[in-house]
Amino acid sequence: MGLKQEEILLSNNSINSNVGEIPIDKQKLAAPIKSALDKYQLVPEFLKVRGLVKQHLDSFNYFVNTGIKKIVCANDMIVSDVDPVFSSGLKMYAAPILVNIEYTQGSRGVKMRAEKNDLVIGRMPIMLRSCCCVLYGKDEAELARLGECPLDPGGYFIIKGTDKVMLIQEQLSKNRIIIDADKKGNINASVTSSSEATKSKTVIQMEKEKIYLLLNQFVKKIPIMVVMKAMGMESDQEVVQMLGRDPRYSALLLPSIEECAGINIYTQEQALQFLEAKLKRSMYADRASEKEGRALSILRVVFLANVPVRSDNFRPKCLYVAVMLRRMMDAILNKDAMDDKAKQVLRCHRSYLFKNSRSLRKHKRLCGEQASGAIWQLISLLFEDLFKTTITEVKRHIDTVLSKPSRSSALDPSLFLRTKEIITGGLERTLSTGNFDIKCFRMHRKGMTQVLARLSFIGTLGYMTKIQPQFEKSRKVSGPRALQPSQCYSLGVEDLELLSGEELHTPNSFLVILNGLILGKHRRPQHFAVALRKLRRAGKVGEFVSVFVNEKQLNKSVVVVYVGVRILVILKHICLRVVGMHIFWKLFDVELYLCADQLCVYIASDGGRVCRPLVIADKGISRIKEHHMKELLDGVRSFDDFLRHGLIEYLDVNEENNALIALYEGEATPDTTHIEIEPFTILGVCAGLIPYPHHNQSPRNTYQCAMGKQAMGNIAYNQLNRMDTLLYLLVHPQRPLLTTRTIELNATVAVMSYSGYDIEDAIVMNKSSLDRGFGRCIVMKRYSGVIQKYDNGASDRILRPQRTGVGSEKMQILDDDGIAAPGEIIRPDDVYINKQSPVITRGSRITSAEPLPDKVALSSDRNENPCIKILIRHTRRPEVGDKFSSRHGQKGVCGTIIQQEDFPFSERGICPDLIMDPHGFPSRMTVGKMIELLGGKAGVSCGRFHYGSAFGEPSGHADKVEAISETLIKHGFSYNGKDFLYSGSAAYALSFSLCPFLGS
Amino acid sequence: MDGVSYQRFPKVKIRELKDEYAKFELRDTDASMANALRRVMIAEVPTIAIDLVEIEVNSSVLNDEFIAHRLGLIPLTSSRAMSMRFSRDCDACDGDGQCEYCSVEFHLRAKCMSDQTLDVTSKDLVSSDHTVQPVDVGGFENSDRGIIIVKLRRGQELKLRAIARKGIGKDHAKWSPAATVTFMYEPEIHINEEMMESLTLEEKQSFVDSSPTRVFDIDANTHQVVVVDREAYTYDDEVLKKAEAMGKPGLVEIYAKEDSFIFSVESTGAIKASELVLNAIEVLKHKLDAVTLSDDTVEADDQFGELGAHMRGG
Repeated sequence: MGLKQEEILLSNNSINSNVGEIPIDKQKLAAPIKSALDKYQLVPEFLKVRGLVKQHLDSFNYFVNTGIKKIVCANDMIVSDVDPVFSSGLKMYAAPILVNIEYTQGSRGVKMRAEKNDLVIGRMPIMLRSCCCVLYGKDEAELARLGECPLDPGGYFIIKGTDKVMLIQEQLSKNRIIIDADKKGNINASVTSSSEATKSKTVIQMEKEKIYLLLNQFVKKIPIMVVMKAMGMESDQEVVQMLGRDPRYSALLLPSIEECAGINIYTQEQALQFLEAKLKRSMYADRASEKEGRALSILRVVFLANVPVRSDNFRPKCLYVAVMLRRMMDAILNKDAMDDKAKQVLRCHRSYLFKNSRSLRKHKRLCGEQASGAIWQLISLLFEDLFKTTITEVKRHIDTVLSKPSRSSALDPSLFLRTKEIITGGLERTLSTGNFDIKCFRMHRKGMTQVLARLSFIGTLGYMTKIQPQFEKSRKVSGPRALQPSQCYSLGVEDLELLSGEELHTPNSFLVILNGLILGKHRRPQHFAVALRKLRRAGKVGEFVSVFVNEKQLNKSVVVVYVGVRILVILKHICLRVVGMHIFWKLFDVELYLCADQLCVYIASDGGRVCRPLVIADKGISRIKEHHMKELLDGVRSFDDFLRHGLIEYLDVNEENNALIALYEGEATPDTTHIEIEPFTILGVCAGLIPYPHHNQSPRNTYQCAMGKQAMGNIAYNQLNRMDTLLYLLVHPQRPLLTTRTIELNATVAVMSYSGYDIEDAIVMNKSSLDRGFGRCIVMKRYSGVIQKYDNGASDRILRPQRTGVGSEKMQILDDDGIAAPGEIIRPDDVYINKQSPVITRGSRITSAEPLPDKVALSSDRNENPCIKILIRHTRRPEVGDKFSSRHGQKGVCGTIIQQEDFPFSERGICPDLIMDPHGFPSRMTVGKMIELLGGKAGVSCGRFHYGSAFGEPSGHADKVEAISETLIKHGFSYNGKDFLYSGSAAYALSFSLCPFLGS
Repeated sequence: MDGVSYQRFPKVKIRELKDEYAKFELRDTDASMANALRRVMIAEVPTIAIDLVEIEVNSSVLNDEFIAHRLGLIPLTSSRAMSMRFSRDCDACDGDGQCEYCSVEFHLRAKCMSDQTLDVTSKDLVSSDHTVQPVDVGGFENSDRGIIIVKLRRGQELKLRAIARKGIGKDHAKWSPAATVTFMYEPEIHINEEMMESLTLEEKQSFVDSSPTRVFDIDANTHQVVVVDREAYTYDDEVLKKAEAMGKPGLVEIYAKEDSFIFSVESTGAIKASELVLNAIEVLKHKLDAVTLSDDTVEADDQFGELGAHMRGG
C-alpha cells in the first residue's frame, strides 16, 4: 500500500514483451525487426515531472506568487472620502501576508509621504509541499528527519489540526462564448467574464425572434440593438455587416432592429438614456459613473468584462457582441447540421458525447468549455473578498478618524490594518468548513473542502485528484455514474495559468482568438496552426498552448485586438512570416486550436484546461525511437527533454479534436497525428489499482474506485508517529501477487458455496488464517483533554492518582502525573486523565475491550491552554460482520469463521483462507476478477509477480490468460484454475470441481 | 445385527518418513476414520507455544501486541507436550500457568548498538527449559539465523519475558503442529486396451497430453498407453473429457477407492511428523475412551440400547 506509484510502475519495466506489429508502410517493412516501442517508461517520468497532485501545488504556488499580488495591486488604493488627499498604496508579499503601505496625507497643500514596510495583515494557510512550505524541495532523507513521510503527496492544508483538501472544481471556462438553449428552447449565448477587477456574466438571448441582453445590473432585458447603439454603433448597417453578408443573418437580426426603431432609439445618447432608466438602483453610486452616466460605465466595466476598453474605444466590445450574435445565429440555422458535423476524432470516448448532444450544445463545446477550476481561482476569490472587506473596514476607520474635527496626532493607517483579523479568520473558517460564501461575487457554495481521510494511501491520493462536477443537476441524463470523458486520460490534471484564446470572423479568413479575446484574422488557419504547433514543439511557446482550428468563416472586418501584449507580438510574427520567426520569451501555457464549424482559430493558454501528453507522430510514425527510450532509461534524457525536443506535446480537449490519436503504434495510419503513451493512463489513481479492469463490467470498476479508498493498509511512513483521530493500519500488508500497482492482502480464495453462511456476498473465513494474522489491523484512536482556564481565574488541574481507597481501581493505568501510561492495558471504565475541573472531577473513559494507550502527547491549543492527547491503540482481528473486498467492487461481509479442520482442503493440502460464493460472479460479470484469481494462482506456483494493468495485454504490461494457464499446467494445476476439494468435516469429495484461486 | 462385527483392521504402510514429512497409505478403513485422523492432527495434537508476553522495553517500530503475536507463532520443540499439563488443569500452580509443570519461561533481550539493522530472531529467545526451544529452521537456505521477530535500528531495544504453554490448534492456530495434513482417495485407473489400440499414435499422444499432470505415458517400445503415476491424477476429469471429445467414451475408467487413502503430513517442526501421526492416534484413542461408557452405567442401557452394549465392548 505504501509503495509509491512511480516505484511500482517502474517495477513493471522488466517485462517488455514485443507487440504484434502490424506493418504499415514499406518503410516499416523494410526496417529491421523493430518492436513497437515500449513508451511505458515515460509514464513514471511524467509523474516525476508533474506528480499526481501537481495541479494543487502549482495552483497554490501561482496564487501565492502571482495571484495574491495581482489582487492587492488591483485594490491598492484607499482613498478617503473625507480627505481626498489621503491615500495609501499597498504591496503584497507572501504569507504571513505582509504589505508595504505608503500613505500620503496633506494639510493645506503640504503633502507628506510616509512608508511602513512588512505589515502583517493576516495569515495565509499554507498548502503542504507548496513553495512556501518548509517541506518544499526537501529530499527523502531530510523529510524523514523532519518526521514526514516522503511519499506523502502534499497538496492539502492543515486547518485546526485536520487535513483539508480543496476539491478541484469543474466549471465552465471563463471568457468563452457558450451557446446553449434554455428550457423554453430559447437560444442563449453567454460569456462568463473574468478579469482581475471584475467578474460578470453576460447573456444574450433570443426570445420570440428578438435578441436581448441579460445583465444583472439591468432590471429588464435590453434589446441588443440598444446596447450596440449605446456603445456607439449607431448605424444598423454596420451591425448587419459585422454579422456577415449572408442575408440569413440580417434576416434574423431584423426583428431586433425593428424593435429598437419601434422605441425610437437611434443615437447613442438615446440609447444611454434608455439604459439609464433600466438600471437597478444600487445603494452607492460611485462618483465616476455619476459624471458620465452609470449606464456607460456598466457597459464599460461589467458588460463583457473580459474585453478591455481602452480610451473609450468600444469597438472591441461591439465586435465581440457581433461574434456572439453570429454564433447564436449559426446555432439557429444549423440546428441539425451540427450533430453531423462532429467528426469522430477521438474514437475512444466520443460515444457518450453523442448522447448528450441532443441539446444545441455542440459536442466540442460540452467538453471544450469545461475546465477544472483550479483552487487558486477559488482561493483568490476568497482572498479578494476578504481583502476588499479589510480595505473597506480600514477606509471606514480612516474616515471616522479623519472626520473628527481635531486630530491630535498624525494618522497611522497601519494600526487599522494590523488589528484586523478578517483575513486570517476568514481564510481559516472557509477552508475548514468548506462553505465558500463570498459576498462580493455572490458565491455560495458548500463542500468545497473535504477532510483528507487517512484511511489508506490510495484514498488520500484519490481525494487529491477528485474533481467535483458542477453540472449534476442539469445533467440528469448522464446519471451519477457516467464518466465525463473529457477528463479521461488526464494524467494529473494540468493547471495552466492566465490567458485563453478566442475568435473573430471575416470572410475567408479565420478569427484568431486567444483566451476569449479576438486577436485578429488569418487567411490560412491550418498554416497558422501548424506554425504555432511547430513553435510549441520547438519550445518557443509554452508547452500547454493549444491550437484548435475551427474551419468556417464569418465576417470580413479584420480586427486586431490587444490582449496580453506578449502574445500579440508573437501572433503578429506568426501572421507575418509563418516560418522562421524567433521569439524570445516563453509564453505562459498556451493552447491553440482551430475550430471547424466556426472558422476560428482558438488559442488557449488559460488555467484549468485539462491537458495530457501525447507522442507526436509524423504521418503515423512515432517520433520517439528506441534510442530515445534508451536514453531515458540511462537517465540521460528526462521527460522535459522529450517535450523540449518535440517528441511529446500536451494537448487539451479542444486540440484533441484536431488530432487523430492512435492507441498503439501498430494501429497508426498515415493520418495519425499522435500516439498514446500508454493506454492505461486513461485511468486515475483508484481505478488504476484494478487488475484487468477492461474485462469487468464498468459499474464494478466504479464501485471499486470508491471502495479502494476504504481499504486498509499503511498510510505513510510516519504512520506510527501521527496523532490522527482515527487510524486503521493493517498488521501484515502485502504486495498483491497480481500487480497493477498496490493493495494490501493476498488470500487463498475458494470460489464455492459452503455451509450456507456465504449467501448474499458473505464470506466464510478460516479461523486458523485469522490466528496467523490474516486481516489483522491496528486501530488508533485519539482522545484529548484540555486543561481549561476559566474567566474567574480558576483552571483545571491534573492530580496524582489515588493509589488506594474508593475509585483507585479505576486509576490503575495512570502514572504519577495523573495521565495514562503508554503500554498499560485499559479495562472498561478506566480513567485516562485524572483531571479536576473547578466544579466537577472528571476523567475520560471508554468501555471497549483491552485497548492500550500508544502514546501521550502534550501540547497547547490555540488559546494556550495545555492540552493532553492520548492515542489509544487497539489490535483487532477480523470478526463476523467485518467487510472485505477484492479489487473488483466485490465486497462482502464475513459471514462466519470456521476452524481450519472443517475447511475444505485439496489433496495438495491447500486450504483456502476464505470462501466466496460463486453466485457473485454471473450477475456482476467481473471477468477481470477471475483472471486476477488465475493470475494470482499462477503467481504463487511459479514465484513471479504477475501483471494486470488495464489494456496491457497488447503492450505486454498484463499477462495474458493463455500464458497464465500454461504456467498453471506446468505446475500441475488445471488450466482453468479449478481444483478438487474435499470437505473438511466429512471428507466426501465436494462434487464439483472448485476453484481455489489466489487473489486479494 | 447380532454377532456381526464391523470391526476392521486398518493397515498403515509408510512410504516416506523424514523428520518433518511423512507420506503413508492408510488402507482398509473408511473416509470417516481418515478424516478424523486428519482433523486431530491439525487441531488437537498438543504443542507448546508462547502464550503470555510481558514487555519490559519495546522501542522497536512494531507495537507490543504485534510482537506478542509474532512470538506466539514461532514453533517450539514440543516433544514434551504430551506429558505436560494444560495450565488450566494444573494443580501445582492453581491454574495461573506459571509453574514448571505447565509452562516454560523465555527471555529476550536485544539492543541494537551498531549502525546496521539488527535482526532479532527466534535464536535470541532464551529458554528456561532445554527441551523446549525455538525450532531450528536450519536446513533451509540462509535461514541459519532463525525466524525474524523484529528488526531494530540503532538505539532501539526490546526486552521481554514470555511464557509458553501447552495448547491445541483448536484454540489457536499457533498450537497446531501441522503445516499440511491432507489425504487423497487412491484412484483406480482402468484403460480399455481394446479401444485404446484403435487410436493412432497422435491420438494417443494428445490423450496423454490432455492431463495437466503426468498420469499416462506412451511406452516407447510397444506404443501402448500406460499409467505411469496414478496418484498424480487430480480428479480433474480432463482425460475423461478428452476421451469423450475423441468420441471414445469409456476409453478410461477412473474410480476413487473408497477404503484406501494416501496421507501426506508435514509438520511445523514442533514435533516430528511421525510423532504427529502417533500422537494423533493417541489423542483419538483418548477421545474415544471418553465416549466409551463405563460398565457401571446401567441406566445407559435404557438410553442407548444396543449401542450402549456395543460401546462397552459387546
